[in-house]
Amino acid sequence: MNVLEVKNLKKYFPLRKFGKKHYVRAVDGVSFTVKEGEIIGILGESGCGKSTLGLLISRLELETEGEIKFKDQKISETLKLPKDIRRRIQIILQNPYDSFDPRFTVGDSLFIPLKINQIGDSDDDRRNMILEYMEKSGLTPSKDLYRRYPHELSGGQLQRLSILRAMLLKPDFLVADECVSMLDVSVRADVINLLMDLVQSLGTSMMFITHDISLGRYVSDRILVMYLGKIVEMAPADVIMENPLHPYTKILISYSPTLIKKKTRIPIKGEVQTLLSEPKGCRFAPRCPYAQDICYQIEPNLVEISPNHFVACHIVEKEAGS
Amino acid sequence: MKALQIRSVSIRYVVGKKEVRAVEDVSFDVQERDVVGLVGESGSGKTTLAHGIMRLLPPNAYFKNGEILLLGKNIVKMKESEVRKYRWKDYSIVFQKSMNALSPVHRVGEQMKEALLIHQPNLSDEQMMKRIKEILELVRLPSRVIRLYPHELSGGMMQRVMIALALINNPRFVIFDEATTALDVVTQGQILDEIKKLVKDLSLTAMVITHDIGVVSEICNKVAVMYAGRLMEFGPLDKVVYEPLHPYTKALLKSHPDFLEPGEKMMGIPGNLPDLTLPMKGCAFAPRCPYAEKLCFSETPKPVEVNGRVVACFKVKEVERA
Repeated sequence: MNVLEVKNLKKYFPLRKFGKKHYVRAVDGVSFTVKEGEIIGILGESGCGKSTLGLLISRLELETEGEIKFKDQKISETLKLPKDIRRRIQIILQNPYDSFDPRFTVGDSLFIPLKINQIGDSDDDRRNMILEYMEKSGLTPSKDLYRRYPHELSGGQLQRLSILRAMLLKPDFLVADECVSMLDVSVRADVINLLMDLVQSLGTSMMFITHDISLGRYVSDRILVMYLGKIVEMAPADVIMENPLHPYTKILISYSPTLIKKKTRIPIKGEVQTLLSEPKGCRFAPRCPYAQDICYQIEPNLVEISPNHFVACHIVEKEAGS
Repeated sequence: MKALQIRSVSIRYVVGKKEVRAVEDVSFDVQERDVVGLVGESGSGKTTLAHGIMRLLPPNAYFKNGEILLLGKNIVKMKESEVRKYRWKDYSIVFQKSMNALSPVHRVGEQMKEALLIHQPNLSDEQMMKRIKEILELVRLPSRVIRLYPHELSGGMMQRVMIALALINNPRFVIFDEATTALDVVTQGQILDEIKKLVKDLSLTAMVITHDIGVVSEICNKVAVMYAGRLMEFGPLDKVVYEPLHPYTKALLKSHPDFLEPGEKMMGIPGNLPDLTLPMKGCAFAPRCPYAEKLCFSETPKPVEVNGRVVACFKVKEVERA
């Protein structure tokens, strides 16, 4: 069953420049579904709209157009959602120092959401629940840490707490937005393992937003690659890594630093732009080494090239057709 | 020829009544035209060592002992006025945050001119412009950048300006301090390629400071692994990264998703960095090391040569067999 269905989702941010109104097309017509218990990785460079997509789905940002269905229930068009739905969709943000209230002890930051959502029978019960989870995730001595303020803890500890804060509410869908990119390598692995353990044991579906390709592959079942607000390729993680079809995915993989020795870079022109004017043709065409005339004229659709492998590229489509 | 010799260098910071032992008894040699990667978690002392080599330490830091021979001269004993003669001419550094390193109120061209004039005051305007254009071309920036302010450039372009500034006086030794950390995957890949090419074309000797082993494996031929201010392992890339012998290097690699066997789980390193204000007995990594025994807690291991690299560990034989 699908936990999430996203149809033609768009988010335009208005921008006034020289008196004329422009729009930044952060997310521009994105459609996909997420199955129960599935982990979907969103890959892309900064400015491709992956974080905006995360905010739209966790209902912290209102879309310009499009539809989001959560368990067959429409949650788009408004940000005023019933408390229960709010509980069932959670988000973990990138910088844990910004996502904890500096005036609350971290214990309170975890306790308040439980109280609001009436999880646990009594306050003592809730407190014990938090302490138990903290022990389990290696946050010891838990009683001592419970009373501390965010600035007294390390980034790794705080990020573990923000994972607990989200997962204690037993959500059905979790958005993790670059949740380890601020952390040191040695801590990163443990935080990821904690996240995976909790998500898998509770059967939560997750959207894992990252720019780190190796990490995306390690965590996700399926990967969705974005470029300037559009999905360019979508396939199971192993398929996309072993056999990327879209030129942009190929380039991204060829440029990511890895320990694996075999590597030939694919040349690429220019840098990521922000799209202000209505784009014509494929958004990647100006930088694409394989671009042909048609790429500048008509925007390619996301087509299923082989089972479960979707690509938005004229050239790939032509090759697959012939 | 040895470009850089680091001989039992210790650097300390005075903080109140305490002393932070940021670098403790580190020794290694860098041959001419080597590209050495300096890896470690945050707090491992890699940036302190680099700034020590450049004599750019803050006023509360001092060399406890040891000497650094850079291009044949002992940097530690040099007077500040003498350092100024060589720094940025014979050796230079590319800083981590280019947006903080460039002046926001001067055009890029002016900042480059200044760097040239300090060491070559007799240059005419034409000669200067020629050199600036030359160096911008080298880092693949258009010459219009000369007239722009830093805020008009993208992150990748600013980082290229920083590299151009570091290279403008034809140095022989350059330190890249997390020069690509804040950049996007593709931009990072491009800049790494350029560094690789520059090092080759200009016969540079370089030191690359990073926490990303992926970056090291792309451009370095030698690797130094640091932990808590001490050198753990040093040697050729193929030895240190692909056949690591120090338990810390091994653990560091296990926390990178690329280095895993299929189905293997990422592993963090349990525990925290030791308190660097306290005198340390034994091996710095012992409290977190799975191989540690009594001896490791009482005596500091001396770096010894094993299988083509230098390792500071008593248990090397056992790690090698494992």
